[in-house]
Amino acid sequence: MYDECRQRVWAYVVSRAGRQVADEVVSETFAIAWRRLEDVPEPALPWLLGVARNVLRDTVRAEARREAFGAELRAWIAATGDGVRRADVADEVTERLGVLAALAELPEDDREILVLVAWQGLSPRDAARVIGCSQATFRVRLHRARKRLGRAMENPVSPRPRVRNLSEELS
Amino acid sequence: MNDPIDRLRAARPAHLGDTPVDERTRAAELTRAMAQPRQERRTRRAPGRRTIARPAWGLGLAGAAAAVTAVAVAVTGTGGTAPSPSTARTGQAVSASESPESSPGRTAPDGQVRLSARTVLLAAAHRAAGQPDETGAWWHTVSVSRTLFRAEGADYTVVDRQRTESWTPSATGPDQRQHSGSQSLGAQPATPEDEAAWREAGAPAEIPVVVPGKKGAKLSLPTGPGEVQKGQAPLPDGDKVFWLGRNVSVRDLRALPSEPGALKAWLLRSYKGHGTESSAPMSRDAWLFTVTTGLIADMPVTPEVRGAAFRMLAGLASIEVTRDVTDAEGRAGTAVTIDGPEASAMGKAAAGDDGVLRTRLIFDEETGRALATENVVVRPGGAQAGMEPGTVWNSDVTLESGWTDDGPAS
Repeated sequence: MYDECRQRVWAYVVSRAGRQVADEVVSETFAIAWRRLEDVPEPALPWLLGVARNVLRDTVRAEARREAFGAELRAWIAATGDGVRRADVADEVTERLGVLAALAELPEDDREILVLVAWQGLSPRDAARVIGCSQATFRVRLHRARKRLGRAMENPVSPRPRVRNLSEELS
Repeated sequence: MNDPIDRLRAARPAHLGDTPVDERTRAAELTRAMAQPRQERRTRRAPGRRTIARPAWGLGLAGAAAAVTAVAVAVTGTGGTAPSPSTARTGQAVSASESPESSPGRTAPDGQVRLSARTVLLAAAHRAAGQPDETGAWWHTVSVSRTLFRAEGADYTVVDRQRTESWTPSATGPDQRQHSGSQSLGAQPATPEDEAAWREAGAPAEIPVVVPGKKGAKLSLPTGPGEVQKGQAPLPDGDKVFWLGRNVSVRDLRALPSEPGALKAWLLRSYKGHGTESSAPMSRDAWLFTVTTGLIADMPVTPEVRGAAFRMLAGLASIEVTRDVTDAEGRAGTAVTIDGPEASAMGKAAAGDDGVLRTRLIFDEETGRALATENVVVRPGGAQAGMEPGTVWNSDVTLESGWTDDGPAS
């Protein structure tokens, strides 16, 4: 279970609250999983992500999560930018930067839903289990998040200060 | 690649992909985890009192070739003793294209009168529209979903079951919550033959199963039930509760047009040429069928609108109706599906999956109420590899749906 799921739990936490806290949250998640091994269902991943989600909520305050995610995103963008210098893939890199910047503009709830589906590859059924809502509810929230992401990608200029800082770094 | 989700998927930072964890971190985390005391297993049934897993589903009992064209699938009941394959009901398919509208019935070679798909749906529309219109503080649904898995390293099939209950408030506002409770009911062998093979394999309480498309992924399903997981969530935008091509509130649902043409036009405003869950192309009728199935299955619409939904389905080309089928709970009903492989894109387990599934809705002709939605294997592949055409790969059975003034127990 550990080898199968560890990196995916880690990736989930990083995409919510950045690398700084990720190892600690992942470590605590698997400690809980060990204590409650009898309760761990199969497949374990949605359950583990649900535990990681609770650990994250209980240990890292929302404001700190936002700041940490902002820092993480700047690191991604810097890493993607390095790609530009290394290879002639400017279009692809511009696309990636645009998508990541759009993701950064969304509320945390939307971001979480999109990351579970797009990056963790969970089905609506499993993702709904992680969040603790019904499939029907999840579809509603996914639909809204997807629309907001689409809008944010079409209108990259945002008046919000957090994102302004980001676009300065982009330039 | 215009879908925002596809673009986001492509933009995933490389280090969040499937790279192995470094050895030091691995050792440290495992050591820390295992240093903790393990909790004792909570209330579990005593070993001697474990009820024998009862076969819940019949699989692939219909002749494979007939099943592909007619999607007539034999499913057996949960009544304790499963009917033998020879007595399983295979259903009779009729399609809109086969039966001209001018002749509502025709006599089949076996002497039975066969009604056209259109006639069956119009009758259901009439019954649905005649149901009493009620509302309450909560829209309450209970459903059981089932999915088939092949056992790993053994020749049998199991069905994994999950019960979900949800409460949707009719009131709106930032303080309102949608509540849900879900519980794994455990996995059991699918047929008597599967049960025999499971016993031969030592009747494992945890059944290892094949996970398609994931190299080296191990999955084993407990045969016993799990805990109830409760959850609640605020309503998006303060009032949205269901997805019907777009997000809708209870008020939107109750205000839907009750004339079939107007309902169709209302729904099609959300149609963008692709599937409901992906950017893969999907025909207009297939899309309408998918969205309408959801509306009929579990949404709090008025009886008139449910009737209009059946009338609209009756007007679609390539609609097929199969009477005399049984849902996974053993209830008799009538199935409606639409021809065309893209109608089932949402049943695919993974990209590159070459299997074909078809979605169908099982309803009660007497009331126009939905009993279940099912995905049926047309061409095996991906998660359905090794399953017979005609097999019901997964299903969501509606046990209860209706208005109540009693909210969830807190």
